[in-house]
Amino acid sequence: MPVIAAKRTLRSHPSSPPRKSPRRCTAATPNSTPTKNRLGGADENQADPAAVKPKWNPKDGEQLKRAKMALHLSTAPSSVVCREEEQNMVLEFCKGCVEHQKAGSLYICGCPGTGKSLSMEKVKDKLLNWAKEEGLPLPDVLSVNCTTLTNTSDIFTKQILGLNQTQGKKVSALPLQQLQNMYSQKSSVKNMTLIVADELDYLITKDRAVLHDLFMLTTFPFSRCILIGVANAIDLADRFLPRLTSLNCKPIVVNFRAYSKDQILKILEERLNEFPYSVFQQQALELCARKVAATSGDMRNALCICGSAIEMLEAEIRESACNLNTSLEEISSSRQNFATAPDFMKKREFDTVKTDHMARALSKTYRSPVVDTIQSLPHHQQIVLCSSMKHFRGAKKDAILGELYKSYVGVCKSCLIPPAGILEFSNMCRVLNDQGLIKLGQSREDKLRRVSPKIDEGDITFALQGIRFFQNCL
Amino acid sequence: MEQENYKIKAVNLLRSRICDPKFIFINESPESNHSKLKFMISSSVTEACNNSILLLGPRGSGKNAVLELVIQDLLQEYPDSISVMRLNGLLHSDDISAFKEIARQLCMEHQLLFSKAASFDDNSQFMVAMLKECGLAHKTIIFVLDEFDLFAQGKQRLLYSLLDAMQSITSQAVVLGISCRLDADQLLEKRVRSRFSHRKLLFLPPSIEDSQKLLMHMLTLPIDPSFPQDYAVEFNRKVQNIIEDRGFLETLNKYLNVDSSVKHLLRFLFCAVSRMELQTGFLSRENFEIAFSSIQRQPKLECLRNCSILELQILVCMKRLEVKEQNLCNFNSVMKEYKSTLTSERYARHVCLRAFEHLIHRELICFTDNRGQSLSVEFRPVKLLISSAELHQGLRANNSCPPKLLNLMDREG
Repeated sequence: MPVIAAKRTLRSHPSSPPRKSPRRCTAATPNSTPTKNRLGGADENQADPAAVKPKWNPKDGEQLKRAKMALHLSTAPSSVVCREEEQNMVLEFCKGCVEHQKAGSLYICGCPGTGKSLSMEKVKDKLLNWAKEEGLPLPDVLSVNCTTLTNTSDIFTKQILGLNQTQGKKVSALPLQQLQNMYSQKSSVKNMTLIVADELDYLITKDRAVLHDLFMLTTFPFSRCILIGVANAIDLADRFLPRLTSLNCKPIVVNFRAYSKDQILKILEERLNEFPYSVFQQQALELCARKVAATSGDMRNALCICGSAIEMLEAEIRESACNLNTSLEEISSSRQNFATAPDFMKKREFDTVKTDHMARALSKTYRSPVVDTIQSLPHHQQIVLCSSMKHFRGAKKDAILGELYKSYVGVCKSCLIPPAGILEFSNMCRVLNDQGLIKLGQSREDKLRRVSPKIDEGDITFALQGIRFFQNCL
Repeated sequence: MEQENYKIKAVNLLRSRICDPKFIFINESPESNHSKLKFMISSSVTEACNNSILLLGPRGSGKNAVLELVIQDLLQEYPDSISVMRLNGLLHSDDISAFKEIARQLCMEHQLLFSKAASFDDNSQFMVAMLKECGLAHKTIIFVLDEFDLFAQGKQRLLYSLLDAMQSITSQAVVLGISCRLDADQLLEKRVRSRFSHRKLLFLPPSIEDSQKLLMHMLTLPIDPSFPQDYAVEFNRKVQNIIEDRGFLETLNKYLNVDSSVKHLLRFLFCAVSRMELQTGFLSRENFEIAFSSIQRQPKLECLRNCSILELQILVCMKRLEVKEQNLCNFNSVMKEYKSTLTSERYARHVCLRAFEHLIHRELICFTDNRGQSLSVEFRPVKLLISSAELHQGLRANNSCPPKLLNLMDREG
């Protein structure tokens, strides 16, 4: 009887469960109330579920899907953890502008993956809720991603379209001039306009006119726009807008620093708290947080690596299921071992993602494929790389193909193997250039092309040291 | 007559196998790239999540072939849930034509009317809207970006728009980049690289043992009623003997030591199978040896074989000048060497100049710079483009080469 039950369990695993509708996820997000976690309360909340939560069953397709969904990039959390200070700075700035009916500009900078755009979404929602509670007129919100603009000056066109102020205006005037005229005289409109310009550095031109004019719009006497620029460079305002300082309208800079180890760990635990089971070993999450914080501080990286670690566990379960199927067939053939089947299955239980799954996911993401590729190159291409390394070991930075061929022939003679012809040598260099291992210049004549190395000498040495043939050459 | 029929059928079967990726690359083991890629994409389809994968490997290692096989399998398993958009970096490397091509393929897939006059803005907004609609309809769009490193030049608007749209909750898409550059993800701009999930599949060339298994897989005939039983058994026995032969293995190693990609091996097989003897209907070792020597060509040696005696003499004089640490020379210095070396049977100067120009046209020698176009041919610096070993082999291979010239070359070497 347990054999039949085991077979049913194994058969149900490969069948794909019904797909969860993305529409439910869309509906769930605005309905959820944003909860502000205090620092003390967060500690207490984190301690209790870790003790109480049962272990999950990775064989259950539904639980597996929900665990992956919690860690996916597109699942926006209800509250942005570890960015409360930055959000409050931006929110207070916007509140002041709306309350006093005056224009202002703000610049938000930080590396990719540090939560800038997500925080801006939260600030918009909070600002609208606050204005509604205070009884102030609701500001218009305009979001522009500058990568979608064909021309840099299209941002003014979008600004005018956002204002819905096309009546009674001259059609022949430029959008920038229309905005400048509108902000130079008093109008009956009371609404402020919040403009969030994402990826601001796409507006940089040679004369920087567009970026300069955009920030200058906030200095007009009757201007009603609150401008928030988002980009990656910290010194964008200083480097590309030096005149704003002298004109006393330099934007306030809010810096989103790269996530630290504790912040990454906190964000991961916050996402996994919504899941009713414990999926990861604590050491595995710690390893992921430390590694990602040491390299880039990018939260997208951390989420992708955790997803890969779950897939490592999933692949292990699939492989174990195949082995278990084979073992069960052997067990059913000889009934003397019938009693040992439940014990055999218990040993194979998989419960959490451990540090070795996480280590494999990390190495899969961060390891360069150069060493594997060098080790699998054909023999003469390895000799070409070896001779090029010896050739460039001195002060030389590049050489022509004919010189490298002489070096290659020398290495072949010292190892007593016949060298390839010049045409094959040229083809091999082209293959290595395609893969990015060497750099091959352009020339009409083959032998006169310039060659320079693109990978480190240590990589070649490390890749080829295991082969006995190359121990004399290196 | 029937004897000839099944022999021709055998050749056609082997040829069609060599040209069929399905026969070569389908590998059901869980460690193969075929299974890994299929698992990644099918889990994206069934679990309604987005993914971006990069297929890296040298040219000829089967990246596109394996991907097409996986897409065919998935279109059979989920016929209504998958759309495939194909882009190529050589054709659509600028963002405007890439977005236009995506809009055209989306319109064709969903029976919509495609407008050629649509602008860049319209096409990009249309793509984002279609991704949203397909996500709500539980349909996955697979974007295949061939020559991915060519999309990474310029401002990378296409990559940013695709990967940014995949961050939203409603879209369901898989972006597959195919590239032969190992550092393709390093070419990405930093915000595109942040949005790209670093999943890489490495396509490495097969080892020598795997190449031999592939040979057996390709060249053995099936034992079924389409071929006479004794013919098929004898054919397979001969193929087995050829593959286990030591001389054949040396030839195969020599061939694969230069380039061990699958396409290179298939080219070798195609040359060998095309020369199969139709009288006997069996493959032999000579077929493979002739294929090897025909692929191993030396075009400069063939060029030297057709040179005249005067042209060979000029080349030998240039080689002598090169040995004297005189890398650059012109026609006058070559003539001076020619007069001092060859004391008899000399040709006139204008005849030598014509032979000199022939060598330039054959690209055995070339001008070192292009700036002196107005100068006469006699005064422009030239450079020899063949090595001593090549010249030596060329002299020996030339039937009409006088022995004195060969001795002169031997003494010089």
